[in-house]
Amino acid sequence: MNIHLKAAWRNIFRNKRRTFITGTAIALGLAALIFTDALVKGTTDSMINIATGSFSGQGQIHAAGFRETQEASRVIVGSDAVLARMAGDARIKAFTPRTLSFAMASSASEVSPALMIGVAPDSERKFSKIGEAVAEGNFFEAGARGANPQDIVIGAKLAETLQARLGDRLVLTAAQAGTDELAQEMFRVSGIFRFGMDEMDGGMVFVRLAKAQEMLNLNNGIHQIALTLTDSKAASNEADPLWKDYSHEGNEAVGWPVLFPQLKVVSSLAGFATAIIGVLLFGIIALGIINTLFMSVYERMFEFGVLRAVGTRPGGLRRLVVYEAGALGLLSCGLGIVLGFVVTFIICKTGLDYRGIEYMGLAFKDLLYPIMTVGQFIIYPIAVFIFTVLVGLYPAGYASKMSITKAMRRTL
Amino acid sequence: MEDKNVKLIVTENLRKTYIDNGMSVEALRGIDLTIHAGEFTAIVGPSGSGKTTLLNMISGLDRPTEGKVWLKDKLLSDMSGRELSDFRRDHIGFIFQAYNLIPVLTVIENVEYIMVLQKLVREERRRRVTDILDQLGMAGYGNRFPTRLSGGQQQRVAIARAMVSHPLMILADEPTANLDSKTGADLLTMMKQLNDRTGMAFIFSTHDPMIVERARRVIVIRDGLIHSDEDREGERIYRATSA
Repeated sequence: MNIHLKAAWRNIFRNKRRTFITGTAIALGLAALIFTDALVKGTTDSMINIATGSFSGQGQIHAAGFRETQEASRVIVGSDAVLARMAGDARIKAFTPRTLSFAMASSASEVSPALMIGVAPDSERKFSKIGEAVAEGNFFEAGARGANPQDIVIGAKLAETLQARLGDRLVLTAAQAGTDELAQEMFRVSGIFRFGMDEMDGGMVFVRLAKAQEMLNLNNGIHQIALTLTDSKAASNEADPLWKDYSHEGNEAVGWPVLFPQLKVVSSLAGFATAIIGVLLFGIIALGIINTLFMSVYERMFEFGVLRAVGTRPGGLRRLVVYEAGALGLLSCGLGIVLGFVVTFIICKTGLDYRGIEYMGLAFKDLLYPIMTVGQFIIYPIAVFIFTVLVGLYPAGYASKMSITKAMRRTL
Repeated sequence: MEDKNVKLIVTENLRKTYIDNGMSVEALRGIDLTIHAGEFTAIVGPSGSGKTTLLNMISGLDRPTEGKVWLKDKLLSDMSGRELSDFRRDHIGFIFQAYNLIPVLTVIENVEYIMVLQKLVREERRRRVTDILDQLGMAGYGNRFPTRLSGGQQQRVAIARAMVSHPLMILADEPTANLDSKTGADLLTMMKQLNDRTGMAFIFSTHDPMIVERARRVIVIRDGLIHSDEDREGERIYRATSA
């Protein structure tokens, strides 16, 4: 081993307490960075899952312009063919057709606006979690007399507003496609769901697809096909060919980043937050390293003077101090990786309980689990190590530039 | 062995002025000195007389305020910092009062350090280290760290470090000051023998009467000037004792 490397490695153990304190500070910084990144990834992933897995799907197909105008007449072009094609497409894991229309819901005593969604109960039950969220009654289950086309499932908050209970009658009023004539239909509350999101619980009602199509005068037209993909990563890729494949003949297929731009912002904000935390942690680490190395350099002024006197070039001395920074970094990174792994692993097992907390319109329904990746244990330690070495250049430069005779006169 | 007529160090009107607490202090006030190969010279004088400053100047550790220093025909002021480092590495051995071994390196590593800087191959380094430690009675201590050696043993290692790369001269600043008189005397005998055998010049800055007694040449410095310069063996005439 190079004699300067050997000396550097042994030098960091000359003052074990100082090395321990600085090393632990660096290690804690690294562990915090790993954990923060895992937590941010977990949070972002969880939010995306809530947004896409609960109801909306990872992607959706609409008629072009429907998302912007919500006009009932803008139905998916050739929906039967599209649905048939999707059924045979291996890239698509699941899908369900829907109609969407704003309506006025009236009970015996109250009136409230609502989004009326026509669903195919069987595929919807498999596709979204709306069926699981039903707190009272059921989600379009056939009764003794078969399926009742007048069944309606409403959100708990809307039920409160309308003072409606299970079995009560509700009248929906909506504008028909093409004519804008108002259509009215009476339904009976067969289910009340509680999703935990105000927007859904307070403003959505579900009716059978056929009934919605009839009421809106759509024939067999549909407004939306929600879908999930076999490769969930493709959903976040706006350039994935799948979106192009289904965006033709007046239809548009888009993934969740387009449907929920706020989630994309959350994702990039999370990355920014990690970067800010990283910068702060690196700043603290830098001060710790500079302090430790300067103390070490000052304590060994005479020794450095001797090394220079016997013929060590300034560069040799610089290398020695940088190697010491590297040795400190190596030791700290090792400790930081272990600490980071242990803490993150434990939280990955136990999860964090943020259930019921709503953030950006999304409510956490399950425990929050950080996501560990191999990259966190490679990229961050390498970054911390390189940073430690770079920071070491400052005291190293100082040590290499000092006057030999002054160094040999100085004692602490 | 270097020809004894070769001039290792020549100084001309060497002056050094320090600023200490805002006060100008003239440590050297015009030193003209020639040191030849193979000399065993003691530079003596009271504290603050300029002995260590003179050693610093002639070893290239510090630069003079005025005057010139030639190190083996090379003018010190013409040499870059890097050239001076290399010159010291290849031609000057240092022995310090407090030994100043590198505490995190073993005896072997301390002794071979300069040869590592010289990029000598490992086998040659180890051969020379073994030889010199053997000569200095330190065989068997090679893997110890300096902190586990006595003062005398540490100074032997320091001598080994200074000599192992076969320099032209050894500069020793108060080498016996931290040793008891017997150990000091033993080491001095050892250095004298090495001087006789290898022809390396030894230049001591010292207060120790024992070194002065054994030195072939004694240069007395007072107030930054050479007060006397005496060649005990009469080979050369330097300068009579000034008033």
